[in-house]
Amino acid sequence: MSAIGELSSMTRRKGPMTKEEKKANGRDNKAAYVFLLPWLLGLAVITVGPMLMSLYLSFTDYNLLQPPEWVGLDNFVRMFGDARLHNSLRVTFTYVLVGVPLQLAVALVIALVLDKGLRGLPFYRSIFYLPSLLGGSVAVAILWKQIFGTTGLVNQVLAMIGIEGPGWISDPNTALGSIILLHVWTFGSPMIIFLAGLRQIPVMYYEAAKVDGATTLQQFWRITLPMLSPIIFFNLVLQIIGSFQSFTQAFIVSGGNGGPSDSTMFFTLYLYQKGFGQFDMGYASAMAWFLLVIIGVFTAINFIASKYWVFYDD
Amino acid sequence: MVAKAKRTKRKLRASALIAATAAAVLALTACGGGSEPKSADGKVELRFSWWGGDKRAQLTQEAIKAFEAENPNITVKAEFGDWSGYWDKLATQVAANDAPDIIQMDEKYITEYSTRGALLDLSKYKIDTSKLDEAALNAGKGEKGLTGIAAGINAATILANPAVFQAAGVALPDDKTWTWEDFERIAAEVTAKSPKGTYGAAAYGTDEASLGVWLRQNGKSLYTQDGKLGFEPSDIKGYWEFLKDMSEKKAVPSASEIVEAEAAPLDQSGLATGKNGMAFWWSNQLPALEKAAGGELQILRFPSKTGKADDAGLWYKASQFWSASSRTKHPEEAAKFIDFLTNNVKAGEILLADRGVYPNSDVREAIAPKLAKADVKVVDFIGAIKDELGEAPAAPPKGAGAIQEIIKRYTSEVMFNRLSAEEAGKKAVDEMKSAIS
Repeated sequence: MSAIGELSSMTRRKGPMTKEEKKANGRDNKAAYVFLLPWLLGLAVITVGPMLMSLYLSFTDYNLLQPPEWVGLDNFVRMFGDARLHNSLRVTFTYVLVGVPLQLAVALVIALVLDKGLRGLPFYRSIFYLPSLLGGSVAVAILWKQIFGTTGLVNQVLAMIGIEGPGWISDPNTALGSIILLHVWTFGSPMIIFLAGLRQIPVMYYEAAKVDGATTLQQFWRITLPMLSPIIFFNLVLQIIGSFQSFTQAFIVSGGNGGPSDSTMFFTLYLYQKGFGQFDMGYASAMAWFLLVIIGVFTAINFIASKYWVFYDD
Repeated sequence: MVAKAKRTKRKLRASALIAATAAAVLALTACGGGSEPKSADGKVELRFSWWGGDKRAQLTQEAIKAFEAENPNITVKAEFGDWSGYWDKLATQVAANDAPDIIQMDEKYITEYSTRGALLDLSKYKIDTSKLDEAALNAGKGEKGLTGIAAGINAATILANPAVFQAAGVALPDDKTWTWEDFERIAAEVTAKSPKGTYGAAAYGTDEASLGVWLRQNGKSLYTQDGKLGFEPSDIKGYWEFLKDMSEKKAVPSASEIVEAEAAPLDQSGLATGKNGMAFWWSNQLPALEKAAGGELQILRFPSKTGKADDAGLWYKASQFWSASSRTKHPEEAAKFIDFLTNNVKAGEILLADRGVYPNSDVREAIAPKLAKADVKVVDFIGAIKDELGEAPAAPPKGAGAIQEIIKRYTSEVMFNRLSAEEAGKKAVDEMKSAIS
């Protein structure tokens, strides 16, 4: 934050620009735009264009095969009566509200342990980061399915101690839990950010606390957590936004149908099914915009709440 | 110094501009694909997409080569994949105005696509249909004309793995006289006498074929002729109650195992891996399944309520259709290719019975000596049930593509005791009604 402030004051000028300078400035801007052109085109063609299109489609009945027909707010009204959509919201909220705090807690604990200055830290850091790189991938989701299957690794281990485990992925009572576990397992990227944040906390605070006789736990609550709160906040916002949109794991683990009995039917998965499986692209577009609103609201709440618990040291 | 710096800067800017434009042009041309018009030398390229496994891919590629040899100015580009991804891809391609010229179609979706104008009326082009079985030909007709030509004839069957029966010391059932009670009893016996994890039968309830059979045996049907749902919640209740009963008696696997089995592709299905004594499949899938199982399988008729084969309510189904995109730039050539697949003996000798029994009677006779043992079994079975068939079922209406998923989902609800068979019946019928309305 302060770094950005410094940057802006560095470029801030005293007094008006001369004509010559203005001209040079304009040229530089033009050059910048030329260099940006491929990216800008990509943004327009790949992001903004389709977004506007989907906004338009959300007010239409569009079956992919025939031209869309304007239906006004129909799609949004239909969402109120769609029991499967309500179920998908319940699944998604459970995933976000359980999965994100759990994942961040694990990430923080591991980061704290690693921060103690283990020998071979880079090695452990890489090992713990690995799941993050793999976790979102199709291959790991398939592996997950095997591990948690009826005759999978987990149940084989359980069988050794005489417990007959359920089919974790194929039982509606445990399927969502298995996917949440997969999410928690990918704690690597918040962990790396936590580690960086921990390194930023000045050692003098801890030294002063030790002199005053504070215990390790007290140091954690009184120094580490408040000093780390901006980082926690950052991770929280990112992870919540990301989790609301997660799709791959549920798609692969459930074989694309959100089963068994809709227990892993994420909002995004239902959206996909509606759009591509049931030729209801207008409704799917409306759902996408509804998701955007949900994420927007959650992010806003996060920012408002942050005033009460996030501590900035400047 | 200053002047020189300026010059290099300008040079730099010019090359940046070129690079940027090049990148943009590349990006744009990459998007604007689609089928190209006829090139100067009169060569036409057709795109042809189908779903299916390795064996089908291999055979179909060979058939394409034979066609290209006869028609040197037409090349056919193959696009193929698994059933599960096929329909998402096709819907997207059609929406993007990038549909393949020739499309392998299923009866569940043909009405959806044809009533919305996505398929070509093939009766307007040169395709000889005089030798086709009438029922197979009619299956491809709808309000928009002849939008699909049957690629093969199929029947819903139960396939049995004799090796599993033998290992358990249980005799194979007599499929001309067996009832559903026999089915349950025999399957439970096989399970009891087999190692843990092996079941006498796979579960039904994951597709509409078995429900179709069940309904027909009870005097109902999946759909009515006017495109409505042909049954009530009470009719589907018994279907689930019986499945649940079979699962409790271990004739079929547990709820969790059923869900896991759903996801397995043909090669890893319970029947192919020797984990099931019997399973529900289409007749044309026998050769591929035998190959995967590495041994012989036996085709059985469905059990009936009365123990008479005539009451089993079987029917001939068009396994797949050949359709063409209504937006194809080369309708004549696409029709020529479909005509080749349908009527040419050379195509028949390559494809054999992979897509079901050939609907063209001439081709069927001509290729008979070439059929492999597994294919012969399929052809014989289709012939044997000819006089036992029930009334031809009504074509699935628009939206029928969603029915299978609904059946599957409520089967889970019942099997996991989350809903009673009665509640599930009500909810499922409501959902199905709104899906096809």
